[in-house]
Amino acid sequence: MHTLTIAGRELRALFVSPVAYVVLTLWSVIAGTFFLASLIGFQERLLQLQQFQMFQQIQETNLNDELIEPFIGSMWVILLFLLPAVTMGLVSSEKANGTEELLLTSPISIWDIVLGKFLAGSGFVLVMTAIIAFFPALLFVYGEPEVGKTVSGLVCLLLVSMTYVAVGVFASSVTRSQLIAFVLTLVLLVMLGLMLPFLVDITLAGSGVGRDSAISKTVQWIATGSHVDRMLRGLVDTADLAYFAISSAVFLLLSKTVIESARWR
Amino acid sequence: MSSSDRADGSAGAGPAIRVSGLAKRYGDFEAVRGLDFTVAPGEVVGFLGPNGAGKTTTMRMLTGFLPASDGEAAIAGHDIFTDATPARRAIGYLPETPPLYPEMTPAGFVTFVAKIKDVPRGERAERVDRALERCGLIDVRDREIRQLSKGYRQRVGLAQAIVHEPAVLVLDEPTVGLDPIQIREIRTLIRDLAATGRQTVLLSTHILAEVEAICQRVILIDRGRKVLDQPIAEITADGGSLEEVFTRVLTRDEADDSAGAGEAA
Repeated sequence: MHTLTIAGRELRALFVSPVAYVVLTLWSVIAGTFFLASLIGFQERLLQLQQFQMFQQIQETNLNDELIEPFIGSMWVILLFLLPAVTMGLVSSEKANGTEELLLTSPISIWDIVLGKFLAGSGFVLVMTAIIAFFPALLFVYGEPEVGKTVSGLVCLLLVSMTYVAVGVFASSVTRSQLIAFVLTLVLLVMLGLMLPFLVDITLAGSGVGRDSAISKTVQWIATGSHVDRMLRGLVDTADLAYFAISSAVFLLLSKTVIESARWR
Repeated sequence: MSSSDRADGSAGAGPAIRVSGLAKRYGDFEAVRGLDFTVAPGEVVGFLGPNGAGKTTTMRMLTGFLPASDGEAAIAGHDIFTDATPARRAIGYLPETPPLYPEMTPAGFVTFVAKIKDVPRGERAERVDRALERCGLIDVRDREIRQLSKGYRQRVGLAQAIVHEPAVLVLDEPTVGLDPIQIREIRTLIRDLAATGRQTVLLSTHILAEVEAICQRVILIDRGRKVLDQPIAEITADGGSLEEVFTRVLTRDEADDSAGAGEAA
């Protein structure tokens, strides 16, 4: 009940902030550009295949694998850099406004605050996902992409965004400065999304520990990449869904602990 | 007392505020040292002390924002730490910096506070209107808070503190930083609230005239300890002014401190 009150207020605040509009504009422009580029690439490839009369490959070329999947995959990378701007103020602004004192002396629980912030952020990324959904939807007018794969890709984008919102809530709860929250979220997301597997490869190189080792596998699991890859290809696995749920829960629990313990110092 | 007691009904028996042995330590520094006092229902008490005496720290513990290092505090019979939810419902709190969301309107903000303070849905609109009216905010109810003057913001802060009609009002320096006219307006407001005879108020300030204008009793603290607790009528009965008495008490307190603990006046 109170969770929704907090979420509703936060969502309204997000949508009246200039940051939200800058992010949504950039997001739409980048999405449009990427989509157009992918579309042109797709056409050129088909023309090439036709020129060389490679009918077998033409048969195998489809909109999902060659266009929608790489498109959503690219937007996932863009998300890593844009989302911190959305989540940076979620909790930190409460500290800066002094409203933390109001919330923490009201008959609501810290979970109401944390989950409210998470829901508000989720509402925002739902809008971002809806913008992305518009582009594949166009393809249904002119072609015949697979519905299942397309939906799986979009759901994947939404789930990964929500997980990143949880990361953002956490980063935002450790500081009163939006700038620090932004940088911290960016670092965490780039680590989770891009860097982690490389870092492990570099560290383990020459140490005799292979990619099949427990450490390497654990890190691969923690990084978002493999889960996103599978889901973008239309493979919906409970293990990957569990990954999104568990990592969100971990970061929300951390946020709750941070908010609670800040007063004990 | 049962936990089903509502904010307005629970002040019937016992003191509105009861503090015993309350202490707050930050490492070696003792901000508040074993504070004891009670405030009866309907009483308006000035909480005085030099800057850094521990006024804000005490109020933060009293409202449940800061955990105490030692001791107990109860609001309307509910312990603020072990029986937090009913205690928090019974408190209206205006912190030193009024907690405000700059992008909201006074009406929207006070409604939000009414929700998180558990004001029943059916009474919400009416209580919000009453709080806005009492604080003279009707004319600006739909303006953005960020556009309001400091005096008006302080009124919005007061409106959020009284919207759920709490048994106890805790006001931390409500007139600091305001111009003389705004100060008079806020004082009138507090006096009107107090004039109902049902509203318990604990008001911190270091302006003596404010105390004389509003309060029935003063509690003076210095370096975390209570040094005076007396009705104003008694203090001024033998022709003394508040200022004289306070200066004397504070000087004596300092002398005691430097002379050692055993010294008695």
